[in-house]
Order: sequence, then C-alpha cells, then structure tokens
Amino acid sequence: MLKKLTAILLISAMVLSGLFAAGAKEEAAPSGPVSIKIATWTSNQSQLDLLGSFVKEFAEKEGIEIDVTFESIAFAEYNTKLSLELQGSDAPDVFWVLETSAPAFIQSGLLAELDSAMAEYDPDDFSKPAMQLWQKGGKTYAVPFSTSPFFVIYNEDLFRAAGLETPAELSAKGEWNWDAFRNSSKKIKDATGIYGYQTVDGGGYNERILHNLCPIIRSYGADVWTADGKILINSPEAVAAVQLFHDMLYKDGSVVPPGDQSDFFSGNAAMTVGQVSRVSKLSSASFAWGIAPMPAGPEGDVPVIGQAAIGAFSKGKNVEIAKKLVAYMTNEECVKRIAGIWPPARKSVLESEDFLSSNAAVKPEQMAAAVAASIKTGKVLPSHVQYPQIEVESKIVWDRLWKADADVKAVLDDVAKVYAKYIK
Amino acid sequence: MRTKNTALKVLYYIAIALLCVVFIYPFWWMVVNSFNDINDIFGPPTLLPRSFQWENYVEIFRVQPFARQYMNTVLVAVAGTVGNLLVSSLSGYAFARLRFPGRSALFILLLTALMMPIEVTIVPMYFMMRGMGLSDSLFPLIFIPMFCSQGAFSAFMLRQHYVTVPKEYEEAARLDGLSPMGIYFRIMLPIAVPVLSSCAILAFLSVWNMYLEPLVFISSVAKYTLPLALANFNDSYGLPQWNLQLAATTLSVIPVMIVYLIFQEKISNAMVNSGLK
Amino acid sequence: MMKKQIQKLNKGEAVTGYLFILPQMIGLMIFVIIPLVMIITYSFQNRNFLFGNLGFCGLENYRMLIDDEIFLMTLKNTLIFSLGVVPLNLVLSLALAMFLAGSAGGTSVVRGVIFLPVITSGVAWSIVFKFLLQGGPTGPINSILSIFGIEGPNWLFERGWAMFSVVVARVLKNLGMNVLIFMGAVMNLPQDVIEAGKIDGAGRMKLFSKIKLPLLMPSILMVMIVTLIGSMRVFDTIKLMTDGGPEGSTMVLVYYIYHQAFKSFSIGYASTIAVVLFVIVLILTIFQWSLRKKADYYEN
Repeated sequence: MLKKLTAILLISAMVLSGLFAAGAKEEAAPSGPVSIKIATWTSNQSQLDLLGSFVKEFAEKEGIEIDVTFESIAFAEYNTKLSLELQGSDAPDVFWVLETSAPAFIQSGLLAELDSAMAEYDPDDFSKPAMQLWQKGGKTYAVPFSTSPFFVIYNEDLFRAAGLETPAELSAKGEWNWDAFRNSSKKIKDATGIYGYQTVDGGGYNERILHNLCPIIRSYGADVWTADGKILINSPEAVAAVQLFHDMLYKDGSVVPPGDQSDFFSGNAAMTVGQVSRVSKLSSASFAWGIAPMPAGPEGDVPVIGQAAIGAFSKGKNVEIAKKLVAYMTNEECVKRIAGIWPPARKSVLESEDFLSSNAAVKPEQMAAAVAASIKTGKVLPSHVQYPQIEVESKIVWDRLWKADADVKAVLDDVAKVYAKYIK
Repeated sequence: MRTKNTALKVLYYIAIALLCVVFIYPFWWMVVNSFNDINDIFGPPTLLPRSFQWENYVEIFRVQPFARQYMNTVLVAVAGTVGNLLVSSLSGYAFARLRFPGRSALFILLLTALMMPIEVTIVPMYFMMRGMGLSDSLFPLIFIPMFCSQGAFSAFMLRQHYVTVPKEYEEAARLDGLSPMGIYFRIMLPIAVPVLSSCAILAFLSVWNMYLEPLVFISSVAKYTLPLALANFNDSYGLPQWNLQLAATTLSVIPVMIVYLIFQEKISNAMVNSGLK
Repeated sequence: MMKKQIQKLNKGEAVTGYLFILPQMIGLMIFVIIPLVMIITYSFQNRNFLFGNLGFCGLENYRMLIDDEIFLMTLKNTLIFSLGVVPLNLVLSLALAMFLAGSAGGTSVVRGVIFLPVITSGVAWSIVFKFLLQGGPTGPINSILSIFGIEGPNWLFERGWAMFSVVVARVLKNLGMNVLIFMGAVMNLPQDVIEAGKIDGAGRMKLFSKIKLPLLMPSILMVMIVTLIGSMRVFDTIKLMTDGGPEGSTMVLVYYIYHQAFKSFSIGYASTIAVVLFVIVLILTIFQWSLRKKADYYEN
C-alpha cells in the first residue's frame, strides 16, 4: 500500500515540480565568459563562421570572454519563433530583424536603442534611406547589415537555345524593359517548352507576392501604399502592371504557375529574381548564367530592396555587451567582409572599388550593373506596424488573382479595401 | 452458379488489390524519391529511383541533429504514453467504482477536457509553461498527452470499461483482505489490459502525431521532435530541400512501420477487441 | 456499530477515490482549467505577443469578431471540412469493416495496409500528399490520371479542389483506426439476434438497417465523436498542404487561431476566437451526451 501510494505521490510531485521550477531558478553571477545567443535565419555554415569570427574579434577588443551560440530559425517561421523566444527564458541577446517586422519590433520596445554604442563607428556613414526603417524619433533600434536589391538571374543557355539576346545584352542597349521581359519569357517557353520565368524563390503567389509585383508596379509609376498612407494598389498604373504579369502567367503560359515546383536553379526556368546571396547557389549549376538589373517600365527600373538588420534584445541579461556587439558587427571593417553576401548600407563600402569584386562568383561589371546601380534606384517594400495582419488578410484576396479569368482590377480594388482597414 | 462465384471472387480480389494500391502508393512514392536527386523528384513518377543518391540519408544527419530528434520523439512518446496510462487508469477506476462526494461533477470536468482541442488553450499554456521555466523543454510535450484531451479520453475509456466489470470481483478481493490499492493493482489493472493496450496505442499515436505543441513549445533544434524536424528541411534561403525531406520522412516512417508489422496481429486485435464505444 | 463501520468504509473509500483522481485532477487544473479561464480573461483584453497587455477592452474583441469576414469564413470552412471528413470516414470505415469482418481471404493484409497511414505522423503524411497532389501534368497523381486521359486539376491551388484534397488526405490517414474499431463491434454483434432476423425472413438490406445498425449505434456514436473532434482540430494537414489557401478556402477555425496568435501576435483576438471554439465544442459535448444517453441505456 505504502509503495503504491508513493507511486501516486511521485506522479503528483512530477506535476508540482514544474510549479516550483520557476521559483527555484537563480540568476547566475556574471563571472566567467559572457554567453551571447544570436538568432539568424541563415543556416549556412560559412556565413555563421564569418559572423562568429566577428564576435571573437569583438571579445578580444573588449578584453572579455564570450561564449557565443548561433540559433538558425527557418525563414518561414522566423517571426513566430523569435517572438516566442523573446518571451521565454532563453531569449537571444542579438537577433536579425526582418524588414516587414521592423515597425512592430521597434514599437514593442524589444529592441535596444543603439546610438551610443554605434557612436565610435561613424554612424553617419550609413546611407539615410537605408536607415529610415530602423530609426524612430531620431534613435536607431537596429542596423541593416544587408541592403540587397533583387535583380534578374537568367539561364544563358536557354536564351541561346531560343536564339534570343540575353537580358544583360538588352540592358546594355537600354532595351531591357517589361515588354522585352515578357517577350523573352514567352519565346523561350514556345521554343524550348521550359518556363521563361520563376517568381522569387517560387514564392510569388504566397509570401513573396509583393516582392514579385512591386518592381513592375513601381516602374509603372504606382506603388502598393506610400509612407504617407496613400493606397495605390488599385490605381490604373498598378492595374496595368499586375495585368502584365497575369497575362504572362495565363495568356502566354510562360511563368511557373502556382503549385508547380519547376525551379530556376535546377534548370527548369529561364529567369528568376534573386539577391546576391542567392548567387552562391549557382556554383554547382549545370548551365551558363548571368545577371541583369530589373526590367524598366515607364518610370525606369525600380527593384525591390530587401533589408535585414541586426539588433540587440532590450531585456536581455547582457544588453550593454549585446549593444556594443551589434555596433561592432556593423562597423566598416566587418561590413567590408560580408559585403559580397550582403550588400552594405555603409556608403564608404558601397562606393569602394572593392565592393564590386567582393563576390567571387559575380563579375565586377555585373556587380556594378545589377547590384550597385540597383541599390540606388531601388526601394524597400512598404511597411506597417500591423504588417502581419495585413499580409494574412490580403493574401486571401490576392489568391483570387491566380485564375485565368480573374478580373485584375476587381481583385486589386478588394486588396485596396483590406489595406484601407489598416492604413490611415 | 460456380462461374458466378469465381467471378465474384476475382472481383473481390481486384477490389482488395486496388484498395492496397491506394494505401501503399504514397509510401512507395516517398521511398523511391528519397533516393532521388532533388531535380529528379519532379517529372513522371517511376517505380524505381532515377538517381540512387544514398547521400540524402547521410546528409539529413548533417543538416539537423536528426538522431537526437529521433530520440526526443521516442522519449516523449514513451513517457507520455506511460504517464497517460498511469494517471488515467487510476482515475478511470475511481470514477467507475469508488464513491466520493462530487464524483459526477468532477467527471463532467474531465469530459470537458476530453472534447477540448489543444488549439483553444495553447496560448495561455505557453505563458504558463514559460512561467514554470518549462519553455523549450520536452516536459510540456509529455504532460499534454497525460492531462489534456488524450488523458481524459483514456480515463473515460477505462471508466466505461470498469463500469461493466462485475462487482463480485472486488468484493471477493476485499473479503480476502486486499486494500483498495491492492484491488487496483492485482485485480483491476490486469482485467483492463485489453482496454489499456488500445488506450496505449491511441496515446502513443497522438504523441507521435503532435505538431502544433512542439511548434509552439520547442525552439532549439536539438529539442525538436520528428514532425517539427521533418517540416524544417530548408536550405539557408528558406527553400525546401525536398530530397532530404523525403529521406527524413522515410526514416521517420519505416521503423515504426516495421515495429507495427511485427506486432500487426496484436495491435489489430487490441483495437478490434478494445470494445471502444 | 455496524453503521459506523460502513461509514468508516465509505470515508475510506472517498479518501481513496480522491487520491486516485488526484494526479489527473491536478494536471487537468494546470493544463485545461486554468488556461481556459485565462483565454476568457484574455478575450476581454487588448493583448499582443510583442506589446504585452495593452489593457482591458471590454467587448471590443467580440464586436470585431462579428465584423470579421475571415472569421465567418473559417467557421464555414470548419463546417465544410467536418461535413466532408466525418460522413466519408464513417461510411467508408463501416463499409470496409463489414466487408472485412464478413470475408475470409486477405483480411489481415488489408487490415495491416489500411493501418499504415495511422502509424505515420500527420506531418509525414501531409508532406507526401503535398508532393503527390502537385498541379500540372508532372504531378504524380496527375500523371497517373493522364494515363486514363484525365487532366487533373491544380489540386491544392484551386478553390474546392483544395478542400477536397485535404479532406481526402485526412480521411485516408485516419480510416484504418475506425475500421478496426468497427470490425470489433461488428464481430461482437450477438449472432442469435441476427439469426433470428434471418429466420424472420429479413433481407440483407433489412438485416443491416433494422438489426445490425441499431446494435452498432453506440460504437458509431463513439467513432463519430472522436472523428468529429479530430476534424475540428485539424492543423498539420492544413498548415503543410495548403496553408489555409487558396482564397482562404481551407482556413479552418483552429488554423485562424494559430494565425492570429502566432503570426499576427494578436493574442486577445485569438483568445476570443478560442472562446468561440470552446463554446462550439461544449455544445457538441452536451449534444452527444444526450444522444448517448438515448442510445446507451445500460449506462448508469
């Protein structure tokens, strides 16, 4: 009887132990190495090693010991997981911030203010437009480590097979516009049977809707919504732009459609859009490839710039060290070394000759034409404190576009209605 | 008459064969493509792999701590199942056989838990686990099958079973001088073995299937359970690595399948004879 | 003297009873009741994952719910999903169980095979089905259909077909379990009653509808409830196969809760939807209980 009672008690104790675990936890004294956890969405070991070397140098400079751990969270789950962790007991001290969540993270007070820590590393070197998203009320809450434009990557073999001029050649002649883009795509499909174009990471119908449509919409002179709250997604220019893509998809049948996994990087599409970090995926490509700027519209070419920043958790155990670390990791020296993967927001690095040859896989003239020039003409995606809600809700309406007989204007009118609920 | 019978028999076997194809094809497809290069996965389905890329199976252990994640899942499933049976058989027996004030009210409380989808309570549960210092640990994943819907389900099943056990068993035991604990362990647990084993199978499967719970509670990759790990085969740009995903999925499915096939008769009979109703 | 002893016995029994249910009740308190009270509290707050509690907001969340077209759509989708899964699963599994219980050859093979998806994790199953249901002529299912000259749709990206696909994937996943449970019930049918029916000259259909079906009712109810609850908390299938799309046509209630809480971080609002789900489940529980009482008269 007693033995069995103990069994019951044990089970109850198991449950109760959880209750007391919280109280029993003690704060460790800050002696010995400082542990710093850094959350990123890359799991690429060479990139993590590079970041790790920055931390090591920083520790040497400060004369402290740092025990660093990197946590790679899958991109699709990044915001969810990160927010959960920031509430938890094992929160990262330093983390990457996605551009779309910048306003919400800044407003929530989860990001530490960095100006004092950055002071010693020439903060004025950062280009003003690049910093816009990460500052509020004159204070800086995160530092962009990547200001990376999206540009066209193409399969040269397929262009040759279809007897076409490549986007880079057209671009050099000043004839690389959306009509040429559409034509090339269709001709390749007709001639080779292979899709002419795959949207950004194949996500143009899901999480990358705006990445896909924005360059067309903006180069037609419209926008999704503007910083001062004007919704332009259903303006005539935007409708014409979206109609172009819709026609490519359904009239020409030259774009990889929703649900089809044909992939540019495995040779199953002639063009796609990507950033310089994607180029490393091409090192093992079985085809000749090239890069070109985004096609131009009536208003020139307006590529999307993808930004990612790094910030310090304001409620972390080692906030001061974390702040200094963030500032160190974005100083000129470090930025130079990552510039080949993540184009910098520091003018000194961006305008240097070194930048053009910073990525071994990309020729300097390509870097100049597709990356450096695009940083100047490009714009980040629109942002909003309630971006996640807007995204979820508008996605339902956007989905209606992916039908052959969709009325583009009507769909965009409804998208505008969703936006109007949040953007005032 | 004879030909009609033969025809019926042929029809019957064709029907059975078709049924088996429907159920086996997805697994076959999965195994075949787990050996393919990522570029060979798409295209017309073939009966055999196009590229025989064994490296897929090596690579999955490099990309994620897959062996560790496997162990986590087994640990959680076993602990969750054992805990579930312990807790629910005690209460199932008490609700059926022991009289105490408030019994029916408490039983209704239990039934509320039985019907409650975990999605209803997962948000506050997350904050509570965090408060107890149990965020990013496997404990919530063990407790949930013990106490939430699955736990209540087992308790309910066992209670339904114990209600039908003749009272004479207990009375005889009581006359023999057995304590209530003794009655429970010596008499009541053994006679409930068929129900216990079907509850165990169901509990094990529910833990094995758990996806939302680890998604919310677990953040470090080393503590992932299999479902979470399977959905996480992406390259550094967040693009899925299908070949690895399929190899990992195959590895997650096949061992359980082998265990199942060994005990197939037993498991099937447990479910058939569980008298679940 | 005698009376006192009985009282003592009863008291002892009550203490044992409480001790026996104690572990479960503590767990129930921590993992069900307290969280339940918390979501009700949250539903009156403007609470956000990133910003914390921004204060009491009265019925604001509930008012939002009424105007929220997506919420109404998810209610409808949940209903469609359950109406698809539950009858399909019940009819198929009952038919298969009758078929398997009544025949000799190959039964155990079939039993084994249809149970395979049950022991496969939902995530693995959904991943494989996502591949199989790929659109265009290259999708595995579509390639097979094209042999018969059928041009398959873009399964997961067309309204209607997407819902159909998740329903079928879900039914195939869980069918095996219900078949086994039903087989048990069918095999335990009292043979004398059935024989009596046969002697009375009841045909096959009549035998089934008038004798077997009523006898099977308790099992059918049980399986129906379990399947219904299961279908209402479908998460992995939706998240991995369609992510709620297209046009939100497979966005079900639980997935909307997940979206609101963990994607949009609106915990207050997510809790409000959770309260609604709780009420629905409560009504279902009461409903099934009254049904059970009617069907299951030997229960005390």
